[in-house]
Amino acid sequence: MSNTIEHIVVVGGGSAGWLAAAVIAAEHRHLRVTLVESPGVPPIGVGEGTWPSMRDTLHRIGVSESDFFRECDAAFKQGSRFDRWVDGSDGDYYFHPFVLPQGYGDANLAAAWQARHREVPFADLASFQPHLCVQGRAPKQARTPEFAAVANYGYHLDAGKFGVFLRTHCVDKLGVRHVLDHVDAVVPHEDGERRGDIAGLRLRESGTLTGDLFIDCTGMQSLLLGGHYGVPLLHQKHVLFNDRALAVQVPYATPDAPIASQTTSTAQSAGWIWDIGLPTRRGIGYVYSSAHVGDEEAARQLGDYVVAGGGPASISPRRIAFEPGYRERFWQRNCVAIGLSAGFIEPLEASALALVEMSAAWLADDMPATRAQMDVVAARFNEAFTYRWERVIEFLKLHYVLSTRSDSSYWIEHRQAGSIPARLQELLELWRTRPPSRRDFPRIEEVFPSASYQYILYGMQFAFDGAPRASDLPQEADRHFREAARLTAQMLPALPSNRALLEHIRMHGLPRI
Amino acid sequence: MPNHAILNNVDHKHLRVITARGAAYGDAVMSALTFPAEFRELQAHYPIVFAKNADGTAFDALALFGFQSGENLFLEERDGAVRWDAPAIPLSVERQPFLIGRGGEELSIHVDLDHPRVSPSESADAGESLFLTYGGTTEYLERIASVLRTLHDGLDDARNFSAALIELELLESFVVDIELDDGSQNRLGGFYTINEERLRALSGERLERLSRTGYLQAIWMAVASLSQFRALIDRKNRSLTRSMAGTHAFNR
Repeated sequence: MSNTIEHIVVVGGGSAGWLAAAVIAAEHRHLRVTLVESPGVPPIGVGEGTWPSMRDTLHRIGVSESDFFRECDAAFKQGSRFDRWVDGSDGDYYFHPFVLPQGYGDANLAAAWQARHREVPFADLASFQPHLCVQGRAPKQARTPEFAAVANYGYHLDAGKFGVFLRTHCVDKLGVRHVLDHVDAVVPHEDGERRGDIAGLRLRESGTLTGDLFIDCTGMQSLLLGGHYGVPLLHQKHVLFNDRALAVQVPYATPDAPIASQTTSTAQSAGWIWDIGLPTRRGIGYVYSSAHVGDEEAARQLGDYVVAGGGPASISPRRIAFEPGYRERFWQRNCVAIGLSAGFIEPLEASALALVEMSAAWLADDMPATRAQMDVVAARFNEAFTYRWERVIEFLKLHYVLSTRSDSSYWIEHRQAGSIPARLQELLELWRTRPPSRRDFPRIEEVFPSASYQYILYGMQFAFDGAPRASDLPQEADRHFREAARLTAQMLPALPSNRALLEHIRMHGLPRI
Repeated sequence: MPNHAILNNVDHKHLRVITARGAAYGDAVMSALTFPAEFRELQAHYPIVFAKNADGTAFDALALFGFQSGENLFLEERDGAVRWDAPAIPLSVERQPFLIGRGGEELSIHVDLDHPRVSPSESADAGESLFLTYGGTTEYLERIASVLRTLHDGLDDARNFSAALIELELLESFVVDIELDDGSQNRLGGFYTINEERLRALSGERLERLSRTGYLQAIWMAVASLSQFRALIDRKNRSLTRSMAGTHAFNR
């Protein structure tokens, strides 16, 4: 049958390209998968935080977690801590941990917290995980098997090393063919049923590479989807202003300095600074709005942050410019974009790699067997990922909308109604009298669960005022708060420090079972 | 707290060790360490299972005596006397209260002076003596020395055995769901056993290597030992019946 899908061609060798190739090749051993990348194109190297979903992804492609930790300079991530986001004062912080609030869904935790426990931050009351982060604890023990957790976790990783790690696995274990060559031109089908499809890619050294499905992982240049097909970018700068980043690597002050178990995000006058702890260094960067702060002033603010954290006085950060937005479509004809080629907003909440994983998983699960099926799958993919990008944007915007900072026009403009998506405005209206619920996020695979919205809303002191309901069960809520405290007391002494466990993994690995 | 001392015929000349069985002498344990060379003998009486060690780098082989901490279903009390109802007892139990210690290159016998098996009395019926009148060692101590040597070598070998099981990915976790005669549902978890499917799928070369080290036999002995779970559950039911009978008698 001539229209059978047999050969998948991935274009681009960053972490998106190799992740997509790995997930597809691991699931479909009968498909041929080829990855072509230009020699000497440096990967962008931002996005060093992942979600817990990465554990499933790595497990699914069949790598060892111990190898992953060692070869990608990876560390544990248990969530995010937001400093100075609420009002910008000293001691203004809150957590968005990966673990759901204790007893989430069994009682109205938010109402009980607001009515009787407001002196404690919501996440610190409802979950043991912020306490593990504050104490620098690892989310598991040395005897916990690979990919299993005591406390839910994702990773911080060296994106460059991650690409190499995935490439080795793809080529050695999953039978992915690796072609190093420049793509000079896209060769379309000229006629017949496939007219308009991509027939192949003309490579500079090795001739034309033909394929049935082309995955565009070419980064922001979006060579196939944006370049060849001209699918426009839906700009989002009017909602989320950040369009620049300055990134720097900073050594630890001492070799045994604690490794933070969360991404720390510290709000600045025109953006925020990420701080990510790897075993051998910290990755720090300032993501900001070029309309609100100049590059030099941004570099000065970043330098101040680095020095305040014990880092070197002189830094030379790498500057990255990006256009926040996502494509009007992600899948056109026989071409689908995954990664930055599909869109990029800003690294808040580290959704970039997560969207790559979701896209790759969707493709692997719903891989069209024939060209005839492809348009059906493409339409569903486009609908699903448009929904997901919209939700990501709303969730990120929520962090800015709830801030009461007024020290710069950046923060004030973020709260102007014209910059807030309509759906988010509607939800905020509902949340004035009740907490976010499952009904607000009805899809089976929501990007962010309603619990994440609660962590942000109540972490940022959003007040609501609704009449009590029978299902509030305030005593039940208090029982869950006590249970969270009990788990905290039980886990703190039982879990090793982040650095101690990472060192143990480097020496001995984690058990497979 | 253990109180370890190197055994010598001056300080411990009159020491006596109680060899009777019983909870009072530290026998109320759910399991005991074992090692491949002992499997053949133990598998006829106890389930042999594996448990992850503290830092997750190895698996210890254990002979199981009960289903919960402190429960040894092989201890039976009859007419005031306690016996261990099995013809073979793991060496790691038999060695009590002695341990092997290393002083430089030499292996030496240590004794835990606070162990309940160390008799508070020095009279002839208080237990086994260790040294003869003029300083020589008793037959009992000779046997203990031999037990400790065998145990020491066996546990060394057990580490290699564990490494082989991990390398060949032959272990899998398992749970035993137990319905007792009193209708209660119980679950035993946290242990590992041999995955027979993977064992059968091993290449000839790997099987040969396992066979030469004696591990292949030990693996099958561990597999065979799982049929002792039935007997252990029967013991549990019998102990329930006894305690229920006791309750009824009391009520009457």
